[in-house]
Amino acid sequence: MILTGPKIREELVRGTIAIVPFSEEQVNPNSYNYRLGPLLKVYRGFEDGQSRFEELVLPEKGYVLEPGQMYLGHTLEIIGSSQYAMSLTGRSSMGRYGLFLQVSANLGHTTSEHQWTLEIVAIQRMRIYPGMIIGQVSFWRNFGDLANYTGRYGRINRPQESFVPAFD
Amino acid sequence: MILTGEKIKEEVANGKIEISPFASDRVTTNSYDLALGDTLIRYTSEILDPREKPEYEELTIPDEGLVLRAGDFVLGHSQERIGSDHYVPLIHGKSGTARMGLFVHVTADLIDIGSHGVSTLQLYATLPVRLHKGMLIAQVSFWRTYGDIVLYEGKYQNSTKPQASMTYKDFKYDQFKK
Repeated sequence: MILTGPKIREELVRGTIAIVPFSEEQVNPNSYNYRLGPLLKVYRGFEDGQSRFEELVLPEKGYVLEPGQMYLGHTLEIIGSSQYAMSLTGRSSMGRYGLFLQVSANLGHTTSEHQWTLEIVAIQRMRIYPGMIIGQVSFWRNFGDLANYTGRYGRINRPQESFVPAFD
Repeated sequence: MILTGEKIKEEVANGKIEISPFASDRVTTNSYDLALGDTLIRYTSEILDPREKPEYEELTIPDEGLVLRAGDFVLGHSQERIGSDHYVPLIHGKSGTARMGLFVHVTADLIDIGSHGVSTLQLYATLPVRLHKGMLIAQVSFWRTYGDIVLYEGKYQNSTKPQASMTYKDFKYDQFKK
């Protein structure tokens, strides 16, 4: 079952959901609108068997994403839950621009809590701004016993490139 | 929990799910198949800027179909008006569509409860693909909710054709605008 907006608010008060900072007006009927954090990593090619990313701070006047380029961004908010699984996607207003906020990995594990890394791909040239409302996260009830998250990404608060080793 | 096809039929009959027009042979085990409507939108702005109203052209799919090249992006719409005040709809590609390299949405699969209208499809081709009006292109599933329900009253309500992004209307809570 997916949590409704009022239930997300309730669970936030109970402390089983974390969204920091939280703003009442970003609650949707069945999700929460998250904002784009200030750091962006830009893919700069493949060197010495590894992907190289350059990190920059998004300027207030915006930054133009180029099609075919891969970027790593992050949510402004710390998002997590001790009780619920999460699904993090773009909002439809961004999908309508052809902006991917994640590349088919939308599932957030229960007990992870951090600023999520966003895998950003623009189909058309598009300007983004730091702090803009860019996506949404929904919360889902679990069925079954819960083991704690032991992954490597779920505690990192900045854009984090893949830990998967490059091929030789 | 996801609704089964049988439950979708039941809730359409009960008026708790809107799918119009509705044909029971489009019901699948866990979803309902959506057909592609006639109208497409293609952006013409050089740079899309969420603070500005985007420029775009509207196209009608001709009888012989319309070919998207690899890399093309257009907005389409479902022929059906869909929505529910009781369940949360999620949009998916049909696997037959996906196998042709066609995305039907760009990471935004979730529909708000209380949102009604034709669904805008975000069509992104990774291979050349011919679109035909009326082709079965996507599917919608319905999910049970947990908690009190507040219905959607947003800017895309009651769409009758594809809707370009309206982020330029968001400035009331747009804190990136200083």
